[in-house]
Amino acid sequence: MNLAKIRKNLTGYFFLAPFIIGFLVFGLYPVINTLALSFTDTTLMSGHSHFIWLDNFKRLFADDVFLRAVGNTWLIWILNFIPQIGIALLLSVLFTSIRLKIKAVGLWRAIFFLPNLLMPAAVAALFNALFAYYGPANQFMVRAGYLPEAMRFLESIWVTRGLVIFIQWWTWFGQTLIIVMAGMTSIPVHLYEAAMVDGASAWQMFRQITLPLLKPILIFVFVTSLVGGMQMFDIPFLLTDGRGSPLSSIQTNNILMYMKFASSKGHIGAASSVGVLIFIMTSICALGIFYFLRDRDLDAPKTTGKQLLKKNPERSQS
Amino acid sequence: MISKYKFGTFMLRFLVYILLFLLLLITIIPIWILIVNGTRSTTEIQQGISMIPSTHLFDNYNLLLSKGLNLPRGFLNSLFLAAASTIVTVYFSLMAAYGLVVYKFAGQKLISNLIIVLVMIPMQLSIIGFYRFMSNLGLTDNYAALILPLIANAGAVFFGKQYLESMLIQDLIDAGRIDGASELGIFHRIIMPLAVPGAVTMGIFAFVASWNNFFNAFILISSIEKYTLPMLVQTLRGDVYRTEYGAIYLGLALTIVPIILIYGIFSRYIVSGIAMGAVKE
Repeated sequence: MNLAKIRKNLTGYFFLAPFIIGFLVFGLYPVINTLALSFTDTTLMSGHSHFIWLDNFKRLFADDVFLRAVGNTWLIWILNFIPQIGIALLLSVLFTSIRLKIKAVGLWRAIFFLPNLLMPAAVAALFNALFAYYGPANQFMVRAGYLPEAMRFLESIWVTRGLVIFIQWWTWFGQTLIIVMAGMTSIPVHLYEAAMVDGASAWQMFRQITLPLLKPILIFVFVTSLVGGMQMFDIPFLLTDGRGSPLSSIQTNNILMYMKFASSKGHIGAASSVGVLIFIMTSICALGIFYFLRDRDLDAPKTTGKQLLKKNPERSQS
Repeated sequence: MISKYKFGTFMLRFLVYILLFLLLLITIIPIWILIVNGTRSTTEIQQGISMIPSTHLFDNYNLLLSKGLNLPRGFLNSLFLAAASTIVTVYFSLMAAYGLVVYKFAGQKLISNLIIVLVMIPMQLSIIGFYRFMSNLGLTDNYAALILPLIANAGAVFFGKQYLESMLIQDLIDAGRIDGASELGIFHRIIMPLAVPGAVTMGIFAFVASWNNFFNAFILISSIEKYTLPMLVQTLRGDVYRTEYGAIYLGLALTIVPIILIYGIFSRYIVSGIAMGAVKE
């Protein structure tokens, strides 16, 4: 080892030192702390803390509050993800179509993305006001004759869930569109030209060329959306009373964790165990997606989960 | 045959524009109602929906402040926090990205991979432990708890790495070295000015993320004079404003209008920032 090489090595570490120290202190240590807390009965109010093995986890599975929160989270995520990816795929095909030549694609895309940047807390409060008993939604429905009289929308389980699903879709379809469309425009045009010469239909081209080549992007969208969706908090928390009313129908994982954290005693041990379980569940599902959707075709270039993630982990989404 | 195809294209195009127009309405109407209702009196709002702004903007504003809600304070708090978060994120993330792109050292690959894993780790796994840690340090109810973790912002480092890799910077670095500049000096005086477009994109995302961040602030900040805008929005729903719809709408509108303005100016950077990386490699 010569001296110049060592010095160069050290300079690299020098530039990365803030990141590494920041990660160890503010990233890794809190995670270890959470893991450790999840095995204890620690509360914020009392000083004592006992190691109670897996009791927190057993308790979570013993009553149905936790499982219901998990179920709610999955339901809301899946029902917003399907139309989100559906619209994104449809619009991407239409926007990139040589036949249709849609005008002002950039502008449409930019407008559809706008809701993504708005403060979720304000959006939730907005929809809370819009769907209040004396709110504009009731005014419209009653005057147009769709409802005989004003309805308490936010006391109906399915209207409330529907609203959370709609808001999530409204927030994220623009971003998914931008990512999917970027993936589609990177597919070489000559593939489509060759298919057209062979007399392929639009659907055949979509099925045989677009979808297979888009798979890495789709997996990326799928996984980031899953990770984001399992953390959903602001919208369901602020749309109703902060406990997932009515009848806990929009109580998500994170709301449950927050409720344990903010309970009168501050059960941070129990709250940690919720966080740990959600992490385990999310990781298993994400790895499952990579495993089942990976390229099994030997001719196709191998794509591993890691490479897929490398493409764009800039923002996780729900 | 040809004319039939053309007619089909015409009809299809027509349907597509109808679809786009419907999606446009769905996207815009909630935001538009929000802004318009901010200018209408509560009586007007109760009389029905309108898409035309009214004249009660200042009445609503005075009403909003009269109930003890310190919105200007919240605005300044959020602005300070977002500005500090942006500076910390951009500076340290570019620095780490620069280190990863320019130097070869042991563990480089490991750190690159670590960054990708980190982006995927949900905040639920760390927030409780983080709260405990901060409360032991006496940093709860302190903005430092919201700003310091951004020194290690994995998503931003990844973006910075992608960006710097797309620039040809090795020659510039060599030139800087020949001129006798220090390694840190090269980063500060040569690389940072050149990376401004990437830094702007990264900065906008950091700003918006901080401006909109509710959960972390809600967990960590407790005294009301330190409340950020999303936290004040939450109090807007409470009993005090129960019947003052105009004021509620205005309060909500004021929190999102700055972001809409920023987006109006920088939408190009934002859209390309999201698309970037998705097509790379």
